[in-house]
Amino acid sequence: MNAASLPLLQNALTVGAILFSLGLVGILTRRNLIVMFLAAEMMLQGISVSLVAWSRYHGDFGGHVLVIFVLTVAACEAAVALVFVLQAFSRTGRLDAAAWQSLREATVGRTIDRELPAIDTVPPRFPTLTPAGVQPATDADDSLEREHV
Amino acid sequence: MNPAPLASGGLLAGAIVATAASLWMLLPNGRESVSTRRLGMLLGAAAMLAFVAAGRRLGGFGEEAVFLVVSLVAVVSAAATIVSRSPVYAAIWFALSLTGVAGVLLVLGAQFLGVATIVVYAGAILVMFLFVLMLAQPAGLAPYDRVSNEPFLAALAGAVLLGVLSLSIGRLSAGVPACCAAPARADAAAAGTADPPPADPPPAALAADPLAENHVARLGAELFGRHLVAVEAAGVLLLVALIGAIAVVSRGEEALAAEADAARAAAGRTAR
Amino acid sequence: MNNQSLSSLLALVPLLPLVGAVATVLLGRRLGRAAHIPAVAGIAAAAVVAVVLLGVTARDVGGTHGPVETISTLWQWATVEGAAADAPGADAAATRGLSIPVAVRLDPLTATLLTIITCVGLLVAIYSTGYMHGDPGYPRFFALVAMFVFSMSMLVMASNFLLVYVFWEAVGACSYLLIGFWFTKPEAAKAAKKAFLVNRVGDFGLAVATFLIWMSFGTLDFHDTLSAQGVIVPGVLGQTRLADPGGYVLPDAAGFSGAAVGTAICLLLLLAACGKSAQLPLHVWLPDAMEGPTPASALIHAATMVTAGIYLVARTAPLFVAHPGALTLVSIVGATTALVAALIGTVQNDLKRVLAYSTISQLGYMFASLGTGTLLGFTAAIFHLLTHACFKALLFLGAGSVMHSMGGVIDMRRFGGLRRVMPITAATFLVGAAALAGVAPFAGFFSKDEILAALHAKGWPDAHGTHADHDDATPTDGRAAAGRPLRFAALREPADDALALVTPRADGRERGVPLDAIDTPATWRLLFWMSLVTAGLTAFYTFRAVFMTFTGPTRLPEGAGHGHGHDDDAHADAHAHSDHGGGHGQHHGHGDHGHGSLESPPAMTLPLVVLAVASAGIGWLLFATNWLGHFLAATPSLTAAAVARTAVPHVFHWDLAIQGTLAAVVGIVVAAIGHLGRRSDGPQMERFLGPLGTLFAEKFYVDQLYAWCVVRPLELLAAVAAIFDRTVIDGTVDAVGGIPGAIGEVLRRSQSGLLQRYALAGVLGVLSIVVLLAWQLRG
Repeated sequence: MNAASLPLLQNALTVGAILFSLGLVGILTRRNLIVMFLAAEMMLQGISVSLVAWSRYHGDFGGHVLVIFVLTVAACEAAVALVFVLQAFSRTGRLDAAAWQSLREATVGRTIDRELPAIDTVPPRFPTLTPAGVQPATDADDSLEREHV
Repeated sequence: MNPAPLASGGLLAGAIVATAASLWMLLPNGRESVSTRRLGMLLGAAAMLAFVAAGRRLGGFGEEAVFLVVSLVAVVSAAATIVSRSPVYAAIWFALSLTGVAGVLLVLGAQFLGVATIVVYAGAILVMFLFVLMLAQPAGLAPYDRVSNEPFLAALAGAVLLGVLSLSIGRLSAGVPACCAAPARADAAAAGTADPPPADPPPAALAADPLAENHVARLGAELFGRHLVAVEAAGVLLLVALIGAIAVVSRGEEALAAEADAARAAAGRTAR
Repeated sequence: MNNQSLSSLLALVPLLPLVGAVATVLLGRRLGRAAHIPAVAGIAAAAVVAVVLLGVTARDVGGTHGPVETISTLWQWATVEGAAADAPGADAAATRGLSIPVAVRLDPLTATLLTIITCVGLLVAIYSTGYMHGDPGYPRFFALVAMFVFSMSMLVMASNFLLVYVFWEAVGACSYLLIGFWFTKPEAAKAAKKAFLVNRVGDFGLAVATFLIWMSFGTLDFHDTLSAQGVIVPGVLGQTRLADPGGYVLPDAAGFSGAAVGTAICLLLLLAACGKSAQLPLHVWLPDAMEGPTPASALIHAATMVTAGIYLVARTAPLFVAHPGALTLVSIVGATTALVAALIGTVQNDLKRVLAYSTISQLGYMFASLGTGTLLGFTAAIFHLLTHACFKALLFLGAGSVMHSMGGVIDMRRFGGLRRVMPITAATFLVGAAALAGVAPFAGFFSKDEILAALHAKGWPDAHGTHADHDDATPTDGRAAAGRPLRFAALREPADDALALVTPRADGRERGVPLDAIDTPATWRLLFWMSLVTAGLTAFYTFRAVFMTFTGPTRLPEGAGHGHGHDDDAHADAHAHSDHGGGHGQHHGHGDHGHGSLESPPAMTLPLVVLAVASAGIGWLLFATNWLGHFLAATPSLTAAAVARTAVPHVFHWDLAIQGTLAAVVGIVVAAIGHLGRRSDGPQMERFLGPLGTLFAEKFYVDQLYAWCVVRPLELLAAVAAIFDRTVIDGTVDAVGGIPGAIGEVLRRSQSGLLQRYALAGVLGVLSIVVLLAWQLRG
């Protein structure tokens, strides 16, 4: 039994390792707090895959149980973390991990991004529809509407 | 069928290096060079191919194909998650990756978990992320989404980690600790070979999943049997997280409200 | 007296003043006005013991025939095994190693000097109780004087070159402390530093000479010692070597001929002696040393410390005699110094400075006498040392008495006619001046006559006197010849082979160094005439000082009679006690000596009287009996064959006496013409002599020469070194100190506050550990 499922184990573990590594790279690299959390969740996915692979290999439910708990904790973590992300956003106005540099040494200057070339954003071309009915009155809140993501 | 160990090792190393290089090229760096991204994608594809080639052969074409597809979906989507500029796209890619992961879990016989992943992660957690993005993400690409933090070193770290893990995985042998070995297989386990002895494992390998029968029931029994306390603790944890999140938000709201009041009062006083 | 008690007595002589010094240091503050008691008691006791020892030695000299010495080893200071193994001149017996015993010796030379040191020291100490009265450093002064007596006693008693060096330095240190006694006065501090530094040059000479002596002789002891193997190790001045005719013929070593090495040793010893005894060119410190208290000047810079150089040359007489070039150089240096100092002394207006230059001049006389290399020369030098101690101390103490009464003023132009207000001082000063000038029958006359005789004998080796009283037998035994009673005869021809002072080499070649060529009769004649002229000049400036100070209308400076102005070595326009004014009149702080009398208290005048008696009588006494010559001839150093051979019968040389007296009379008359009965602030010698006077007053520009050739380059070097220190050394240290800061600066930049960078660093660290573990576990 075990000898036969070793290849499966190894492949699955490899997949898990790749997911974990990708998640690690993502956390270290991306500056958007949400993307960082996505990458963290990805690491947890990698862990889940590995645990289930081991569980399958051993014929045991131990890995499954652990994954369930991982799932639970991930959910709690996401909830609390996102609250904090929103608090951070309300203080700085952006979801940038690099907005928080107060822990730096007194003699080190604030790290400021270099100027990036502007992107020519092509405004989306929405299909034009024949007008039907009355154009609704737009109020100030509509200015929050984004044109593109 | 199985490639020779050395070739497999070289292939694996090449795959890892290619992965790292492609990540480095694909990660946002403010320069927006299309050619670099294309090269990175090419390298990524090559890396995937190399991983596939270096991987172990499973019994039967069907099993292999299924596993290949779902794992590729998971991995490629994961890569796309971390390299895409727009966080919304990243979230969508993540959802796809979750699907792939669920597929892997199902292939591995974790029926409950595969579905649970979709439901909890893609259904609940991911949606929460999207809500936050809706609230906080500026229109267009924010400057901080177009740059990444030390891409080279991070890719290197990822590559090293992947290398070490792959090495360890590759050196796994069929030898099993005595606690888990079936008595009949004891002598064969004691022999301990690096490679699986049969070149072609019996086609029934994948189907011979000891956990498949009455899977959910048995999982439930295991969960509420042996790990009851942990389950209850997890429940309490969920409750606590909920309460904590509300508390932080409300305090934050109170603080904001208090600031607004103070500002209004000051403005009123000066106006007077 | 047996050896045991003799050794104890020997040890007592330095020990008692040392105890006195320590007691003064410990108890001085508490004793207050009685702080002088331990020191004076110690020195007095030492004086008593010294006189006893003198008596013991005299008895031994009378009893035995050969050299007289007693050695007492107090303890073994150091031993270095096998140190002499490579010494070129060392024989097998000396390979035991370097051994430094603290050994003291007693022989006629030592006994004489001990008596002088302790007795003059005692008189000076008694005098100081009056002079230094009221000075805040009263206990310190007595501690230093006692310490000095201890050091000087040990110096003349030491029987080992290293020990001599130690106490050579010790007396230098005491001199420094005493010159700079009033160290808050900048001139005093500078003078002390100058004295010490100039002495250091001499000390260097003594040190290198010690090294060379060790290399050549294999031992540093004067006396013969017994090695661990029971073999006699001949001391440098031990009886074994003295009896050996080739004892001072040094072997060739390290590519240098033995004569060259020996001459080098002698020249270095001469350098040391010049430093300590203030001879050209190291004489510059002695006039400035007058910044110290006058009793210190009397003790150290007149009677005792400056005679250490004379002692050294006399002690190493056999070595010098074996190297005639160096020996002649001693005389040349001495006579030249005597003349130059006398010339400078003629234009000095400061009484103490006159006496200082006089000291230098008289020491020059002693060196000139030592350099003749004959027994007469050596004993004449010691005789003159003895008489000089008496009358120079007398003159200095007299000057101190004058200064004390004049309120610290010592510039002769500011006072005059003091014989009416200070009769005792005036009388004793006159006696001392007469002795110094060489007026018969005072002490200086006889000793100077002997010196001139020694020089004359070298200059005119075939001279016959006008009186036909010849002795029959050619004396071969110095002591026997010197022991004959006084004969009134002219100069006698010395022994024929007395001139063959150097043993020729076995192969017949003349051995020696080129310097030996200066030992010609012509040189000695020149030196004789120089000495005669100097005698005249001595009489001149001495009596000029006497006339300016004690004759003429009685003038007193402001502040006279207020006594305690010690710290004012008066310059022409310095006013010591200007605030006292004239209202206090002639009141003297020590009790009333009568209206108009400014005489010093008995504590000060008593030593003056004692010294005056000594100056008057001692010369005639010793000369008539020839006791001193006979006594000193038993010193081991002077019983060396080369020296003893030169003994001549003891005669009174009429011709030289007449020449000397003539010179003195001329000097006194010229002084009288210029200064007797006149106001002392009239036209001065400087102006009278014109440009020559300026030359003399500027001390032949020697100080300026030193400033340009030595001091300026050293200051430049110091400036360069300071710059080097600041930029290179401090720079390096600061750079090293700045390294942590620099590293910190670099490392600090990693603390950017960016969370992801921190995480990256953590991840990389963990990965390193993981990789390491995987590598370790790969097997």
